[in-house]
Amino acid sequence: MDRVRRLVAGHFRRRFWALALKELRQIRRDRRLTISLIITPVLQVLLFGFALDSEVRNLHLGVVDESRTPESRALISTLTQNRTFQLAGTYATPTTLGEAIAVGRLDVGVVIPYDFVRLRKRGQPATVQVLLNAANANTAQISQGYVENAVASLNRDLVGAPAAPVELRAAFIYNPGLVNVWFIVTGVFGTLIILNGSLVAAATMIREKERGTVEQLLMTPASALEVVSAKLVPVFLLLMIMVVLVLAVAGLVFRVPFRGNALLVLAACAGCVLTGIGVGTLISTFARSANQTLLISFFVNPPIAMLSGGLTPIEAMPKWVQPVTLFNPIAHFAKIARSVLVKGAGLDVVYPNLLALLVLAALFVGVSAWRFRRQLG
Amino acid sequence: MRRILAQVRKELTQIRRDPLALALTLVLPVALVALMGTSVSLTVTDIPIVIQDLDQTPLSRQYADAFRNSLMFHVVTLPAATAPEAMLAAGRVRAAVVIPEHFAREIRRGRPAEAQLLVDATDGNTARLTRGGAGQVTQFFARQVAPERTRAPVQTATRLWFNPGRESRKFYGPGFMVLGLAIFPPVLAALAISREAEQQTILQVYVSSISAHEFLLGKILAGMVTGLIQCLLSVVLLVTLFGLRLAGDPTPLIVGSVLFVFCVVAFGSLVGAAIPNQAAAVQAVALGGYLLSFLLSGLIFPIENIPDALRWVSSFVQARYYIVVVRDAFLQGGGWPAVWWAVLAIGAIGLAFYALAWRAMRRMQVKA
Repeated sequence: MDRVRRLVAGHFRRRFWALALKELRQIRRDRRLTISLIITPVLQVLLFGFALDSEVRNLHLGVVDESRTPESRALISTLTQNRTFQLAGTYATPTTLGEAIAVGRLDVGVVIPYDFVRLRKRGQPATVQVLLNAANANTAQISQGYVENAVASLNRDLVGAPAAPVELRAAFIYNPGLVNVWFIVTGVFGTLIILNGSLVAAATMIREKERGTVEQLLMTPASALEVVSAKLVPVFLLLMIMVVLVLAVAGLVFRVPFRGNALLVLAACAGCVLTGIGVGTLISTFARSANQTLLISFFVNPPIAMLSGGLTPIEAMPKWVQPVTLFNPIAHFAKIARSVLVKGAGLDVVYPNLLALLVLAALFVGVSAWRFRRQLG
Repeated sequence: MRRILAQVRKELTQIRRDPLALALTLVLPVALVALMGTSVSLTVTDIPIVIQDLDQTPLSRQYADAFRNSLMFHVVTLPAATAPEAMLAAGRVRAAVVIPEHFAREIRRGRPAEAQLLVDATDGNTARLTRGGAGQVTQFFARQVAPERTRAPVQTATRLWFNPGRESRKFYGPGFMVLGLAIFPPVLAALAISREAEQQTILQVYVSSISAHEFLLGKILAGMVTGLIQCLLSVVLLVTLFGLRLAGDPTPLIVGSVLFVFCVVAFGSLVGAAIPNQAAAVQAVALGGYLLSFLLSGLIFPIENIPDALRWVSSFVQARYYIVVVRDAFLQGGGWPAVWWAVLAIGAIGLAFYALAWRAMRRMQVKA
């Protein structure tokens, strides 16, 4: 009995390796697939990392200085001290300033009244008018905060003593330089794994279907389970090579810190790759041709990528969308990547996300393998 | 002209008979705009924070309540014997406010009391917003407890123009409308031409009396019909779901939309004529239409932040100009003086794509 089992296991292993080797050779010969596996993800992570930056800086500031005093000039220089605002022009009247904002030449306008100094000498507060183009809510909120801070620091200088009874000292931890690219790269990483993983898996699966070579596979002594797993394992290994490449780019080019356990990140990558393969295989079982898999991915990918918290925070999404992200592998992966790489967290912090990722992977691979097997039979 | 119209009619019939293509043109783009336009936002509300009150006086509790009453924060209770740093490390909160001992005593003595704010800066933008919001709460509290000392000599009166409620969806809704138009019409156009090449039906076209210009214009006009219907549906969605209204002169939007749809369909035709393989053509459009429009058009993050080495590419991305036109039409309302250059750029890029598509068609003909 024991010998029989060992014999069966030996057969399984031999047939599995033969099939896996065939898959590997097939993938290597498909130049487009190899390119989309190695070059595209590296280019994409570079492109996303350089192109997407949420920092609010170099906003165009226009000024109407009716006061023309050293004090009013001091206010303007406080506003343009750091790189949030750059002085784009001075205007004669508030009307012309408003027109410049309306045609998009200015983002912010400041009107300093003619009685700016006189009022203060009388002990009355002088009011500076601030006009903000609030079309972009994020920019408006940050620049409003910045103007108010600048005026508060001017007030401190004018009064000569800390005016406010309470001061709030802010400390940014984990990322004191507020480097935005760490957030973007760790968010895009999962998106790349899922998108490229599903693309490659769908392409290798659909090819057998399209060329009618599925019948040949059926004629081999291999079982459906062997066929499916032999198809998945080489793709998995190749995708893991891609993962290491992207990690290297993140570390070397974008200087993302590797504060936590790298093995933990690799485990999360493996879970994410498996989920991507599962998604791709599932798509291929619904499609009849390579064109259709691409078109279906075209529908599926943008929402998966955007509703993941990869590029914009999940907390900023509407309340009814937030629970949906629990089913998004990219959301869990981004959480793990950020916690482990940037914050140096361990398994005790990220285990719920890792577990969720593994469950999603098992679910997608299981369902797609089941559907593939049913189609084989 | 008659031959062009016949070609248009043939194309439209073909689209109508293909349910996947029809879904691609009409239902999906609108669903995409609705879902993403409402979901994508950078301005977090209800940021989870924790407050460690080491003072435990009525005054310090009043300060903590100021955070509780703010719409921006959601105060999580700090479990006993837990350091706020641990809550931050576990990712349960985004920020921690530490109120020191003798907080109330310092205030009553007229000395500045210092509270500490620890912000998880993994997400830089949210960290900035958190600091700004916490600063405003603190200022509000300071005015409450010591009004005589906070009468600042200089005050600000801020007016928010164009989007006074600071609603993110009013900014991202128009953006995703543009993204939808930058993806789906060119995919259809590319498929329509590369299908002819792949199925060799293009040979029938060559032997007919129709010229390359007529063939191409017929294809483009048919693509424009579906593209403009998609555009109209998106505008209806912006008005109904996003609560946007035309802010000024609608003619730049109308002219810009027609030119933009022409531009993207010409781009799709160019890809279809250059790549006679449907799968590869779709991938090329995905790269050129989707990825470039998404990254280099100022859809989510400002174009000005892109490094110079990459930013020049965005000058050739048509979506970048159309986003300006749509946002101006629905938010600023600056009209022609504000956006004439953008409309002109869309037209110029469209003509360039058309010329290239025509050349690619002729090359295809020579090969066949």
